[in-house]
Amino acid sequence: MVNKMMFVLLKQVVKKPFTNPFPVKHAPKNVTELIEKVQKGEVKINPPVPLPEEGFRGKIHYDPERCIGCQLCIKVCPADAMEWIPELRKIRHYVSRCMFCQLCVDICPGKKFPGEEKNVKALSMSNDFLLADYDKYSDNLIEEPPEAKEKGL
Amino acid sequence: MTKSQYYIPIGPIHPALKEPIRVEAKVEGEKIVEVDVKRGFAHRGIEYMGMKRNAIQALYLSERICGICSISHPYAFVVGSEKALGIEAPPRAQYIRTIIAELERIHSHILWLGVVAHEVGFDSLLFWTWKGREKVLDVLELISGNRINYSMYMIGGVRRDLKESHIKALKEMIDYYRIFNQEMKNLFLADPVYKARTRGVAQLSKEMALKVNAVGPTARAAGLRMDIRQDIPYDAYADIEVRGIVPQDIVGEVYGDAYDATLVRIYEIDQSVDIIEYCIDNLPEGKIMAIPNYVVLLSKIKRTKGEGIGAHEAPRGEVIHYFKYDGTRDGPAVWKVVAPSYNNINSWAPLLLGAEVADIPVVVAYIDPCMCCNDRIAVVRDSSGKIVDSTTLHRMAVEKTMRIKKELGVKE
Amino acid sequence: MTPNILAYAFAFPVLGIFLGLVYKGIDRRVSARLTSRIGPPIRQPFWDVGKLLLKETVVPENAISWLFNAMPLIALASSMTLLLYIPFGVLKAPLEGYGDLIVVLYLLTLQSLAMAIGGFASGSPFSSVGAQREMVLMMSYEMPLATVIVGFALIYRSFSLTTIASTPVWSIVGPIAGLGVIMLFIALLIVTPAELAKLPFDIAEAETEIAEGMLAEYSGRNLALFYLSDAVRGFAMAALEVVLFIPFTLSSIFNLNLTGASLYTVEALWFLFKVLVVYLLAVTLVRTSFARFRIEQASRIFWVYVNIIALVGLALVWMGV
Ligand code: SF4
Ligand code: SF4
Repeated sequence: MVNKMMFVLLKQVVKKPFTNPFPVKHAPKNVTELIEKVQKGEVKINPPVPLPEEGFRGKIHYDPERCIGCQLCIKVCPADAMEWIPELRKIRHYVSRCMFCQLCVDICPGKKFPGEEKNVKALSMSNDFLLADYDKYSDNLIEEPPEAKEKGL
Repeated sequence: MTKSQYYIPIGPIHPALKEPIRVEAKVEGEKIVEVDVKRGFAHRGIEYMGMKRNAIQALYLSERICGICSISHPYAFVVGSEKALGIEAPPRAQYIRTIIAELERIHSHILWLGVVAHEVGFDSLLFWTWKGREKVLDVLELISGNRINYSMYMIGGVRRDLKESHIKALKEMIDYYRIFNQEMKNLFLADPVYKARTRGVAQLSKEMALKVNAVGPTARAAGLRMDIRQDIPYDAYADIEVRGIVPQDIVGEVYGDAYDATLVRIYEIDQSVDIIEYCIDNLPEGKIMAIPNYVVLLSKIKRTKGEGIGAHEAPRGEVIHYFKYDGTRDGPAVWKVVAPSYNNINSWAPLLLGAEVADIPVVVAYIDPCMCCNDRIAVVRDSSGKIVDSTTLHRMAVEKTMRIKKELGVKE
Repeated sequence: MTPNILAYAFAFPVLGIFLGLVYKGIDRRVSARLTSRIGPPIRQPFWDVGKLLLKETVVPENAISWLFNAMPLIALASSMTLLLYIPFGVLKAPLEGYGDLIVVLYLLTLQSLAMAIGGFASGSPFSSVGAQREMVLMMSYEMPLATVIVGFALIYRSFSLTTIASTPVWSIVGPIAGLGVIMLFIALLIVTPAELAKLPFDIAEAETEIAEGMLAEYSGRNLALFYLSDAVRGFAMAALEVVLFIPFTLSSIFNLNLTGASLYTVEALWFLFKVLVVYLLAVTLVRTSFARFRIEQASRIFWVYVNIIALVGLALVWMGV
């Protein structure tokens, strides 16, 4: 009743577990309570696995000031995650539909503010990846120009 | 023991299956006397969606065909489209594509090894192999920005370049997997219980493999030296003499069983590591995209007429994409996908017949099936057996939605 | 029956369930650490049982419902009774004198049998295949198990567990018989995972093959009872091995002169520690580092190899005594 696996396993028993204990080591008694406590800063959660230093493809960040309304992002988006707002000539981005392919970021021409050398894109990939939500239309999962919300467009 | 017959349904949802498919078996004691395989639970109509979108969008849809090897379908897509459109990727891009494809082969094969260990009840080995798989996923995340779905390929090149830091990480990874793979050989191939569970199980003879059109590691485990990388070399594989790995090279004899499939896959990881090492040592300098601007690329696609077939040796076997561009729109007019699991699943029924209930998970797992790749068409029949065409089907779907809405009282 | 025994009879099941679940928790935790995971908290089995007790108990339509519902009770009752026969350190077994090793053998079988009958009664093909496998497996490991017990009967000329517990086996056997006892111990260790339906012999419950087999249709309270009986049996089996093969008391090793309450506490703790060690080595480590056998391979292992070990052991004991 001995095999090689046993030795491999016995070696692992003295090592630190490989599992990353994110967000907490064991399931809490009450998840909502934990979230509240974390928001109040009473409890600290373990950090997730570190991201690569650059080039991570996370949630798309949209800067309406830089958007020139060219609609190129809508043209390439495979998931139809971009919506055109004709009144404002800007776009709205639904994170819950996005598949993080970065095509829109690649194609976005962006705009140059006075005094800048180069164009800066309106779209960029952020490092955000904790996007779980109850509602796919929650504020966290929609990127849009602030006017759009005010005017209810 | 009684000799009464039982009917055992495996799937569409069953712990041995990771994706939906159905195996219906009649069992006498432990022996399977009748078996039927039913597929078609995961059809999503991706080709249809792709034929309504432009080529760049379709390329990224193709990345979602497979749940595990997200670069196999795009690879066949770009190779086929480039042939159809007369674009050639710069050499550096070709090498980077090959590196990514081989990285993926490593992660997919390790994944399979873990799954098959789990199927024979060897969960500790599953945890151990998947722990080792993290390394290649980390490297892929570093290079491409995500662990799965790399979004690296583009018609006529790749979207991201390999930087010095990436190459350093790759070299480190190569050293890691040389050692890891050695340990894996010890743990899998030398384990008595693993051997007892897989030797002689799912034994596919050469003739049988040809008859059911097995491809990829399944065919190679049966002793057929076939590999797209060797038979129709593309990209960097043309510069590397890839030889399909068959058990007779390694141990001198072929059984064609699940044990041989394990053997082939473990040695293919070695091969992939070697290919990656060659590629980063001989990485050409230069551009990474033939047409860097997507708008220009799309307008070129719109102007070009042509057709082409792209083939890629995915971790599970050959992936083939057919394209026709008709010069009127910027996407494919016809797009057809052939996935390896379709051929390999053919081997289940003959292999299960006469096998034991305990062998079902091993037989099911040894081809590394991918149901979402396999289900490329769905046919619906009405009660009289006639095939229902798509317009009727659509009408019926709309009617049903209306009915349900009315029942539930949904207001528009 | 004296009131004393009655008190024991009530206290022991509660204690047995508590210990069984604690050991299960430790087992899960250690198994997780072996595979480089964090693992559940030790109290997880308690939560599991609590949660199962709250869940709905579903009886399948084509099951024989009275049989289906009775079997979990029988299984739990038999493992509880089993516990009452095991001397707890220097504490005497509550049912001492009312039965012996043969009863233990039957109680061990009864539990597996209850599971198999429950499987047959649930009327699902997965459960039926699982139950068939359990029967085959039981027939295979019963022989080596019986051989071990016969070996002990030969040494002590008695089947009484109390006699066995009071005199360590190693003190009365010569070198040849000692070797035989070691072989019997090995045979019993191999039988342990099969008896407890743990890997590599959890063939009757094989998750990936027949979806937990006999337990496939059980839910809610019934499943909780099986869970408890499994936990108790795991503890009892390890305890039995300790009583038979590692009977040394702490006071006899270190020549301690303890009396009264301190003696009982120290010995009880020492006993629990021994059981834990046996449990971790014979169950946890083995179940974590092996794949599952096929039923006919398992049968062959027991009928041929384990039987040979056990019979040679028996022969050596017979020569030595
Ligand atoms: S990342 Fe891809 S899917 Fe997401 S919005 Fe941009 S183009 Fe669309
Ligand atoms: S976000 Fe960028 S690509 Fe999209 S409309 Fe604005 S400028 Fe054009």
